[in-house]
Amino acid sequence: MKISSVPRNPNLAFRAKGLTKVYGEGRTAVHALRGVDMEIPKGEIVVLLGPSGSGKSTLLNILGGLDRPTEGTAHFTDQCLTDMDDSALTLYRRNHVGFVFQFYNLMPSLTAEENVELVTEIARNPMDAGKALSLVGLGERRHHFPAQLSGGEQQRVAIARAVAKQPEVLFCDEPTGALDSTTGRAVLRVLRDVNDRLGTTILIVTHAAATAAMADRVIHFADGGIREISTNKTRLDPEELVW
Amino acid sequence: MSPLDKKLWRDLRRVKGQAAAIGLVIALGVMMQVMMSGLVHSLQETRAEYYERYRLADIFAPVLRAPNSVTPQLAAIEGVSRVETRVTGMVLIDIPSRDLPVMGRAISLPPGGDPGLNAIYMSTGRMFDAAHPEEIVLLDSFAEANGLKAGDNLVATINGAQRQYRIVGTARSPEYLYTTAPGELVPDDARFGVIWMNRDALAAAYDMVGAFSEALFAINRDATQASVLQEIDRVLKPYGGGGAYGLEDQYSNRFVSEEMSGLEVSASGVPPFFLAVAAFLLYIVISRMVQAEREEIGLMKAFGYRNREVGWHYMKMVLVIAIGGAIAGCLIGIGTGRAMINLYTMYFKFPFLVFVLDPTSFVSGVSVSILSASIGGLFVMRRIFRMAPADAMRPPAPADYSAAGQIGAWFAKYLDQPSRMVLRRVTRQPGRMMGAVLGIAAGMALTLSMITIYAGFERTLDLTFTVVDRSDVTVGFARPVGEDAIFALRRIPGVEVVEPTRAVGAVLRNGRFSHQGAVTGLTVAPELIRAIDSDYSTIEMPESGIVLAKELADLLDIKPGEMLAVEVMGGRQPVVDVPVVAIAQSLLGAPAYMGMEALNRALGEPGLASGAYLKIDKAFEQEIFAALRDMPMIAGVSLKSEMRTAFETLMNQGAGATRYVMGLVAFIITFGIVYNAARVAQAERARDLASLRVIGFHRGETAFVLLGELAVVTLLALPVGSMIGHYMSFAVAEGFSTELYQIPSLFLPESHGYSALVVIAAALFSGWLVKRDLDRADITTALKTRE
Repeated sequence: MKISSVPRNPNLAFRAKGLTKVYGEGRTAVHALRGVDMEIPKGEIVVLLGPSGSGKSTLLNILGGLDRPTEGTAHFTDQCLTDMDDSALTLYRRNHVGFVFQFYNLMPSLTAEENVELVTEIARNPMDAGKALSLVGLGERRHHFPAQLSGGEQQRVAIARAVAKQPEVLFCDEPTGALDSTTGRAVLRVLRDVNDRLGTTILIVTHAAATAAMADRVIHFADGGIREISTNKTRLDPEELVW
Repeated sequence: MSPLDKKLWRDLRRVKGQAAAIGLVIALGVMMQVMMSGLVHSLQETRAEYYERYRLADIFAPVLRAPNSVTPQLAAIEGVSRVETRVTGMVLIDIPSRDLPVMGRAISLPPGGDPGLNAIYMSTGRMFDAAHPEEIVLLDSFAEANGLKAGDNLVATINGAQRQYRIVGTARSPEYLYTTAPGELVPDDARFGVIWMNRDALAAAYDMVGAFSEALFAINRDATQASVLQEIDRVLKPYGGGGAYGLEDQYSNRFVSEEMSGLEVSASGVPPFFLAVAAFLLYIVISRMVQAEREEIGLMKAFGYRNREVGWHYMKMVLVIAIGGAIAGCLIGIGTGRAMINLYTMYFKFPFLVFVLDPTSFVSGVSVSILSASIGGLFVMRRIFRMAPADAMRPPAPADYSAAGQIGAWFAKYLDQPSRMVLRRVTRQPGRMMGAVLGIAAGMALTLSMITIYAGFERTLDLTFTVVDRSDVTVGFARPVGEDAIFALRRIPGVEVVEPTRAVGAVLRNGRFSHQGAVTGLTVAPELIRAIDSDYSTIEMPESGIVLAKELADLLDIKPGEMLAVEVMGGRQPVVDVPVVAIAQSLLGAPAYMGMEALNRALGEPGLASGAYLKIDKAFEQEIFAALRDMPMIAGVSLKSEMRTAFETLMNQGAGATRYVMGLVAFIITFGIVYNAARVAQAERARDLASLRVIGFHRGETAFVLLGELAVVTLLALPVGSMIGHYMSFAVAEGFSTELYQIPSLFLPESHGYSALVVIAAALFSGWLVKRDLDRADITTALKTRE
């Protein structure tokens, strides 16, 4: 088994080896990832920085169980993601992972609370939907529909939805991309709180270099590969970020 | 090609599946229009051409025996352009394969075989040789139906003398497109024959040397037929004439006209429903498709394109689909029309075909498609144009469901979140849902009305041959007979019931309304042949008074209690005024019934019967036929089973035949609508569905949100479709009814059930197709795709 061939480190959330992703074939092939090796410890906030097309979203999708690499392996703790079939990946997403997207992806036909319940209904060990909304400061607005919420509020509902299942990992793809800076900082504050209180590993993909200052670890992407990995000795509070 | 046009082609390629589905539906709508009107036009043209080429007469004047010297007098009548006289008479033809001889008509032709009027078309063999009086030409359809061909011998009884004749050829005639056994309504090729032979030979057989028994007339275009008829009757009266009639009353022509007008009514009455349903669908789908282009529209506006330019760009896309579908419809319509016309040419026995197309059907089909697609496209574009480009470019704000409010606590207990999504979407976008519901309902209505029509045809057969007529055999007498003949029938072993009838030709008049038909005299409480009311119970024949079929009463605009004038065309030709006492239900023909005694009294011929209905023991069938064959007073015998088969053939090959094509088209349209509804919903929800998958919902759970919506819409559409279909079927039934038979629109629960099953099956299949695509979809790209 591949699992036994990889040295186990109980403190690691993710290990990736030789991850390659190629779209298309022959002359038109696009190499989104070119043999990425990396490890992400549990409980950290990790920011993936890099220009468009550098491969950071592709990596996030593979680690999140939304996509498969062309080559290489990826492990979540001791489970090999790259060996999983479609159904196992669905269960992986359902039980271990939360997602936050740039455009929130809320269900317009469900209220804030119901959007959260959408997840708690199927999760193994969920928290109360109301509690999840209180965590993002939206306890009062739980009966509102997405159309009645501002962009920042919608993103906070999306975060509440993502954390309500108490996932081990939270994936955030440009979570502040559609928000102004004040609202963006408020959303990052929520992520930081989740990390502090629940110990959730958080991966944030962003263009905004300033966000890096709130991370434990920053992975710089360029041309489908990791250019540099840096660690912050001290993390800034989201309120201190400037962009 | 401009970049915009390139974009257009690529966009079309992207949506090709859906474009094809939309195009197909509109194509079928247009096809029906083109096919049916082309069919009717071609048949009418062909008939006109056939009549003209073979010089079918305008006026027919039968006479007992008129000397040839009268002919110049007839030719001199004002308005007459040509006269042709001939000898005709009844014959009995022995067919080896049949137990009973069949009736026929012998008609004389001049020695060369080419008369001035009513020429014949030789289909096989040759014309008779005037030097051989035993040579005859036989009606093509009769020969074929009885397995006879040129070279065969034929035994026939003419004027009491049985002789053997030799068939030298078979022919078609515009005068005998349809033949019917005497006393029957429904044509049957096998049981009425026409023999053409040399005039001298036939005149000798009928003792008509130097005389004629029928005069044929062609009249000038500007002549008034009525006055010509009057004049002919005046001239021929002394020779036993007086019953001249126009082509419109000639039996075969009348039947062909009725069949064609039946087709014409179906052609003008039914396809518009198909086109309307297709157009409605086109409108809905196009408007949703343009809605999906909103971001691109915003982008183009941001580049500085004017509304007009953007609008035209998208209209081109809409028009390509609509016009493409319509043109495909025209082409398929021409193809199917041609195929159907070939079938009908055989059915009507035309020797050739004049194929014409009706340009208006193309124009109406294409313009309705363009119009409904344009309206759908423009309507949505106007809304998008009102937005600032920046707003349009952003992904749309989440649809506002706030009006949906909360789901009650009680309800909430039973509804999980996916179910709530389905419920809110259905209840909170009522306009959109209503469009989908109505679309599917319209499709179901089409299917339902076609299924209802099928049942209507069955009912017509059933009512005619098991409820109204319960006999096994019908006997026609050569001339009216007395009681003793009826007793003779009763004495035949195996004959269980004999019911005499008296039928006479008559003109029924109520004020300015009149109808030329027949009055049938029935016994007081008939068992075998009955007039029935709407509850199917027997109407007892009154002492005096007349019972009219509903169609006939409607035609004459008369109600029970009112007086009707009956001008009898037999015996001493009396005119009697009788009260209408009851209205009978009949789906075949338009019969009028009187008590037999009352009718005989009016005729001054008490105790006579012109025919009888028999119920027999099937075990004695052969013996009974042998006995009937030996009875000299019997002119014809019809088996009900043969009559039923003939009627079935008529309904399945005549105007009614189109119902099968229409039924198939209705089914395809219904499927197309349901499939489109599913596809559109899928496109609109791609993002939501992908989000659900990302969150960790399995494929089945995700599909539930989409298919649940389709299920709800389909279920809502069932009662609506049931209702629309119920009303639509009245109009469609009207379209399929001809003057000869009526097709009722029946409310049958099973018809509604079947059409619901069709819709459900279409929904299940569409759901399966959509689900298959959902399963294949890549969630990450689906998340990024624009809506």
